[in-house]
Amino acid sequence: MATSKKVITREEWEKKLNAVKLRKEDMNTLVMNFLVTEGFVEAADKFQRESGTKRILFFLLCDFHLCLVKVSFFLNGETAEIDLATITDRMAVKKAVQNGNVEDAIEKVNDLNPEILDTNPELFFHLQQQRLIELIRQGKTDEALEFAQEELAPRGEENQAFLQELEKTVALLVFEDASNCPVKDLLDVSHRLKTASEVNAAILTSQSHEKDPKLPSLLKMLIWAQNQLDEKAVYPHINDLSTGLLQDPSE
Amino acid sequence: MNSPSSHFIHKFRHSSNRQDMATNEEEESPTELNTINSSAGFLIVSPDKLSIKYTGLGQHGHDVGVVQSNKPAPFKRHAYYFEIYVKDAGVKGRVAIGFTTDNFKIGRHPGWELNTCGYHGEDGLIYLGKRQGETFGPAYTTGDTVGAGINYDSQEFFFTVNGTLVGTVSKYIKGPLFPTVAVHSQNEEVSVNFGQEKFAFDFKGYEASERNKQQIAIEKTSVPPNINYRLVKNYLLHFGYEETFHAFDLATNCTVPPIYVPQEDGVDVQDTAYALNERKILRQLIGKGEIDAAFAKLRDCYPQLVQDDKSEVCFLLHCQKFIELVRIGALEEAVKYGRVELAKFIGLNVFQDIVEDCFALLVYKCPEESNVGYFLEASQREVVADAVNAAILSTNPKHKDRLYSHLEALLRQLMACCLELRLLNDGQGESLSLNRLLKNNSCKRIKKTG
Repeated sequence: MATSKKVITREEWEKKLNAVKLRKEDMNTLVMNFLVTEGFVEAADKFQRESGTKRILFFLLCDFHLCLVKVSFFLNGETAEIDLATITDRMAVKKAVQNGNVEDAIEKVNDLNPEILDTNPELFFHLQQQRLIELIRQGKTDEALEFAQEELAPRGEENQAFLQELEKTVALLVFEDASNCPVKDLLDVSHRLKTASEVNAAILTSQSHEKDPKLPSLLKMLIWAQNQLDEKAVYPHINDLSTGLLQDPSE
Repeated sequence: MNSPSSHFIHKFRHSSNRQDMATNEEEESPTELNTINSSAGFLIVSPDKLSIKYTGLGQHGHDVGVVQSNKPAPFKRHAYYFEIYVKDAGVKGRVAIGFTTDNFKIGRHPGWELNTCGYHGEDGLIYLGKRQGETFGPAYTTGDTVGAGINYDSQEFFFTVNGTLVGTVSKYIKGPLFPTVAVHSQNEEVSVNFGQEKFAFDFKGYEASERNKQQIAIEKTSVPPNINYRLVKNYLLHFGYEETFHAFDLATNCTVPPIYVPQEDGVDVQDTAYALNERKILRQLIGKGEIDAAFAKLRDCYPQLVQDDKSEVCFLLHCQKFIELVRIGALEEAVKYGRVELAKFIGLNVFQDIVEDCFALLVYKCPEESNVGYFLEASQREVVADAVNAAILSTNPKHKDRLYSHLEALLRQLMACCLELRLLNDGQGESLSLNRLLKNNSCKRIKKTG
């Protein structure tokens, strides 16, 4: 038995629509995002000039000098927009790896964009390998072995190169004084830095190709939201997306 | 119905309310146990307020050592979760975890009273406001980590033991809920984790999969083909971005295969393309702060809009001119201009406080840094440009009286629906923010665990 639905009149609904806080800036950004991701370079150019919406922003954080360099960047004739906030995120990942907090780094990378590790098996393996190295460094032999067996061995089975890397890493456990063995380079901080650079590069690559425009998802969201709300209320719909005209609930 | 001009007046006045976009989603969250409102006689709370130990005798049903968190669970999100660790199940193992409300009865286990809920370790039963419990999950004891959560999307409580979900129940309680912990026999000791430590349960993964469910449902909907192109074209025409429109139009006609955009009843496109060139020129002039030139152009092409010097369009233009004079430091000229053109608006409710705010700019050495500094931002010019744009569109005899571009109408509908959904869900659940959506990358999926 359905509970009675809330009835919202056209007048009430229009009040709600007009009360929505929507910034022109955000709509411009949405349009710019569409033009850029769909490859309408000329139009994006003109739009930047006519509306002032920023098209390209690429900040390069130089590790050694910690200075900000603004560079305009073209990538295969496509233009891309990169937010300052994602630069900070990327730096956080890099720092985590440099400090040996690989688990944390992996979590952050996935928060940024789960596709990065999905589409980069080599990177993921190297991160796992680094994690193993850190466990060995901390003297957690049992945990290290368990981790190697559960997480790394299966990957080694799929890939010869991975297997060799894995064997090299596990070899660290054989030696009493790992810091003096033939594979001691793995324990060196420079290995952390190498892994960190790899992650950094992968994130940059993923960020410079904002693949999907947001506009289509928003339209889908609208259809979904109206369907959801239909279960609880009676209110004016927009049935024809191309006109955006409101239709009275009775229709 | 909202008249188009007052829409722009409102924007002119509030163009810089960036704060209320972001911060009303900042919510408080539990961080420790509430030592003021606890069953002081029956338990002691550790100095760090994250552990409790039973000190009563456990002789009857009213000497439970129960305590709430200091703050209620935040609810403007998909879900909330916290955990307890049973340090010592004591003599009888009568530990409980759950949620209670503001008017909670001291000395009673969560779940025994109405509007409370509790999962009890002694018997593994769930109590939902009655002294009688229902079979729910495993009993739990010393060394177990038990979690309790609220899923605002499905309106359910869920519980976990040692990292595994053990069950869900419908959330029948309304209003803010406090994470609650209880102990009820000698030597019972429990510690609480409000997220300051890592959870045994993969809560982030749970949240992500909830978000995912929504995403999957959303992805399933289908949208008419080419709708995006039509919306973008309408947007560009609506606001008078002539050059962009032509570049875009050209590009969509030149793709191989050509993106065929069936003309909406040709009238509609013509409507939006009305006076496209003039609107573009005016937007450019206003964008550069050349208000006098804008006035001249309007007098030339649309005298009817500037005939009534007290109209809203004139008001906004005069204000903007005043602001431009302040911007270049021509304060004396600004005052003169204000006397001639703005003074007449004092006494008219709608405009008066804006005029006063504009005049306030004169007082500051660095007006951009003052609290009326937003008048000097580019976004202010944009509001005026949009207002003039709308005014010109209204001179079209075939004008259909549509304030918003199609895209904006759709976005407003989307936001209104989401707001209403949240309203009908007791204000609970994650909100939609276009601003945040534009900043984030593609939807977050269930992440790989390391």
